[in-house]
Amino acid sequence: MFVFIVRRMLQGVLVLFLISIFTFFLVNLAPGGPSSLVDFQSTAAQRDARLKQYGLDKPVHERYVSWLSSAIKGDLGTSINQGLPVGSLLAQRLATTLQLALAALLLASIFGVLLGVAAALNNNRWPDHFVSTISTLGMSIPNFWLGIVAIIFFSVQMRWLPASGSYTIGKSFSLADRLEHLILPASVLAFSLMPNVVRVTRSALLEVKATDYVRTARAKGLTNRMILWKHTFKNALVPVIAILGLITTVLFSGSVVIESVFGWAGLGRLAIEAANGRDYPVILGVTMLAGTIVVVVNLLVDLLYAAVDPRIRHD
Amino acid sequence: MTSTIIETTPKKASSRAWRKLRKDPAGIIPIIILILLISMVIIGPFLYKQNPQKTNALATLESPSAEHWLGTDELGRDVFARILVGGRVSLAVGLLSMLVGLTLGTIVGGSAGYFGGRTEAVLMRLVDMFMAIPSFFLILVIVTSFGNHPAIVIMTVGLAFWAQMARVVFAEFAKFKKSDFVEASQALGGSHTRIMVRHIFPQVLPQAIVLATLGVGWSILTEAALSYLGLGIQPPLASWGNMLQNAQQYLFLKPTLAIWPGLFIALTVLMFNLIGNTLRDVFDPRS
Repeated sequence: MFVFIVRRMLQGVLVLFLISIFTFFLVNLAPGGPSSLVDFQSTAAQRDARLKQYGLDKPVHERYVSWLSSAIKGDLGTSINQGLPVGSLLAQRLATTLQLALAALLLASIFGVLLGVAAALNNNRWPDHFVSTISTLGMSIPNFWLGIVAIIFFSVQMRWLPASGSYTIGKSFSLADRLEHLILPASVLAFSLMPNVVRVTRSALLEVKATDYVRTARAKGLTNRMILWKHTFKNALVPVIAILGLITTVLFSGSVVIESVFGWAGLGRLAIEAANGRDYPVILGVTMLAGTIVVVVNLLVDLLYAAVDPRIRHD
Repeated sequence: MTSTIIETTPKKASSRAWRKLRKDPAGIIPIIILILLISMVIIGPFLYKQNPQKTNALATLESPSAEHWLGTDELGRDVFARILVGGRVSLAVGLLSMLVGLTLGTIVGGSAGYFGGRTEAVLMRLVDMFMAIPSFFLILVIVTSFGNHPAIVIMTVGLAFWAQMARVVFAEFAKFKKSDFVEASQALGGSHTRIMVRHIFPQVLPQAIVLATLGVGWSILTEAALSYLGLGIQPPLASWGNMLQNAQQYLFLKPTLAIWPGLFIALTVLMFNLIGNTLRDVFDPRS
């Protein structure tokens, strides 16, 4: 088990290292420079001074080494457009994105697993077709458009829920206010996430249902409900946990778009501001943070997986 | 001898596919709707003679009329005309991005699976890396660095999709590498390229077609989101995504402006996904 953990951790570090090389060189070797350097009103001397300030006068591999060595110590550089440390910008925004992501994950897991169970228990009958229709719609409807439609209906027409922001500005903290702002974006994001959970739950349940130990349980005379909760469901949950890694990347991608639709100041919004303003240190920092979270989640999932299913440790 | 056996296998799969489709003709409906949609955006602009780029400050945000079937947008441009030409862009970007992802994924996944060893170690770490960057962040990094020329948008969306493709192709190639027909061909002196292209690839083709079909839908969605955010296809060139870019400001005045392009995206992607699901059932020998 120890060897397994160490090997997986080394693989994770290697992947992060590759991401850092790839993004850093992509961003730095691209034509054009940071936006403030393309400022037409500045003189050549001012531009040179700025180049020096950001260390852009050194060759790219030297810049990479110095960026990486300070990044490992937790210093991700300074935002070109906002003048603030990238680390503190990320910290400000991470909490907002986490609220949205965790709420969406919770909704998608609950409804995804329930629908997946309903589909598997009624394999090839109408509930199964109904569930598969819902998940196909979830895969096909653009989530940002669903968000806009939800705003039109729930905010503009019915005036039930706020159309944007993660809280009412100028109001002191209240849980009800936060939840009110959370409902629409989290549900929309969850809807596009859910098909992944449904598909895995359904096929895992069907697979476990066909195993010998379920047949034995049936032969013992256990009721269907006992078999489902005691034998089938627990084993079927294992592959569902395994797709958490995949879901994390989908969540991040989705949050970029949903945060824009609903005007949330999260990591995704930060990434878009940075892309529009060609703020290289910020876009590097956001990508590294997202990559790190994905790698860590995958590592945890692998460990959990290995703890639950001993066969995996011996590969 | 071996080659005859091998070449009949894909044929069997396709004839099985036809038998299944004939038994369940509902699977044809999405194909028909998709063909209608594609012909509409290709032929439409020749029949519906409104200029999609022409602005008219006197006729902004108009309701549908005989002249403007779906009304006009905030600059007085004809919405239906923009949907038709925007559909060309969205579909073209979706199809081409899928081809980029498919090609790259098949070459990298195939080589890693077939050669194994060090090639596999290097190529598959690359795949791991791409799987660990959320696709939208990868796209933002590339678009920030290289701008948003339509060709770059196509490459970028394809690049966000190839790693998934590579994983599937890798597993299949690794599986078939040890099969009898590959060993036979190797014994007969077949080159690696020949074995990979002529013998293994046809076995993987059904799965690749399914993933490619679902990939078109995914690519259309991704391009739409990117263009909605102002980072993809740039106006005045219309795409279904960038038509939604400004629509959100007019939700109170003209909510339908935000409805139409999204409906066409959803309908088109839905058809690709339904076709992909049908193909998966049809090709899967277990079902």
